[in-house]
Amino acid sequence: MSGATEAVQARAEILKLARALNRDAGTLHYLEGVAADDLRAFRHQVIEALWSADGAAMGKLAAASKLLPAGVNATISERALGPVITAQLAARLDPARAIDVAAKLSTPFLADVAVALDPRRTSAVIAGMPPHRIGEITAELVRRGEYVTMGQFVGHLSDEAIRAALGAMDNAELLQIGFVLEDKARLDRLLALLPPGRLDGIITAAVEQDLWLEALDLLAHLSAARRRRIIATARSFQEETLDRIVAAVIEHELWEEAQLIAEADPGLQVRLGLARR
Amino acid sequence: MLDTGGVPSTSTELEALRAHLGDAPPAGLRSLPDVHLADLADAISQARRHQREALAAAGDRALSHVPRLLRGPIRRVVG
Repeated sequence: MSGATEAVQARAEILKLARALNRDAGTLHYLEGVAADDLRAFRHQVIEALWSADGAAMGKLAAASKLLPAGVNATISERALGPVITAQLAARLDPARAIDVAAKLSTPFLADVAVALDPRRTSAVIAGMPPHRIGEITAELVRRGEYVTMGQFVGHLSDEAIRAALGAMDNAELLQIGFVLEDKARLDRLLALLPPGRLDGIITAAVEQDLWLEALDLLAHLSAARRRRIIATARSFQEETLDRIVAAVIEHELWEEAQLIAEADPGLQVRLGLARR
Repeated sequence: MLDTGGVPSTSTELEALRAHLGDAPPAGLRSLPDVHLADLADAISQARRHQREALAAAGDRALSHVPRLLRGPIRRVVG
């Protein structure tokens, strides 16, 4: 992992930790030098501590909710509990019951809940959500720029739900979500679910939006076959694009990742060779 | 916020953080200066207090949305 990629992963973890602690991420700036893996482990410890702190009260709330119809529970969630407590409650309900309640919640509120949700405790609820709702929630989260939140959920979604989510984002957004994905081993599967036309547009999105850090990181996590397929769509790059790739490589020290794409473009190989001298 | 850039800690601040977590924090966190360890312990303490208060307030608000006939059984469950 390049220094730039590690730094972005660490920042994504700090953002998630700040949300768990109800703090502004800027107040935790001193954690930027800590490894992303350590920050993730620490965040899990914090969530565990908060989860067990009010376990008895949350348990009673969950028991009470079982006495009420799903529609009343949804009203109470939106008007009284709010997204953070609803997210905790979702982890304590029977998944089928939680999915029934979620069906009655508005999409903006579900997006708020998604931001506060611990996917490890609610995997069955996330997996059981109808794909069209996943698509709607994704569209709302994309609109808010909540890439870090979406990056936590991919590993818990069915293929059908992932297709619905992919339909709610463009390739530039996909690159940004892929960059902060919690489990990068999922990237190849994620791209396998893209329609062929979309796969061909990945490099185009990197060119148009100047997302080379994200694109090179993505390529580094794909199977050799899929990487070749994406790179083949690029053919040869324009001069201006070559300049931008080389600039990203120098700025973020992505020499290793850049070789993956340079193999298919002699012009880029030459430029990288000159830049490294 | 102070940024001491100081010496890694084996201090009471680290012990306070450990007490909040119920376990030692990961190695990368243990080497933070005391002032930052204290800030993290304080953040967890405040988050717990905030959660407790939010939960109490939400419980009161929630009851007003429960159909009258069910309020008695719900009160018995919540206690």
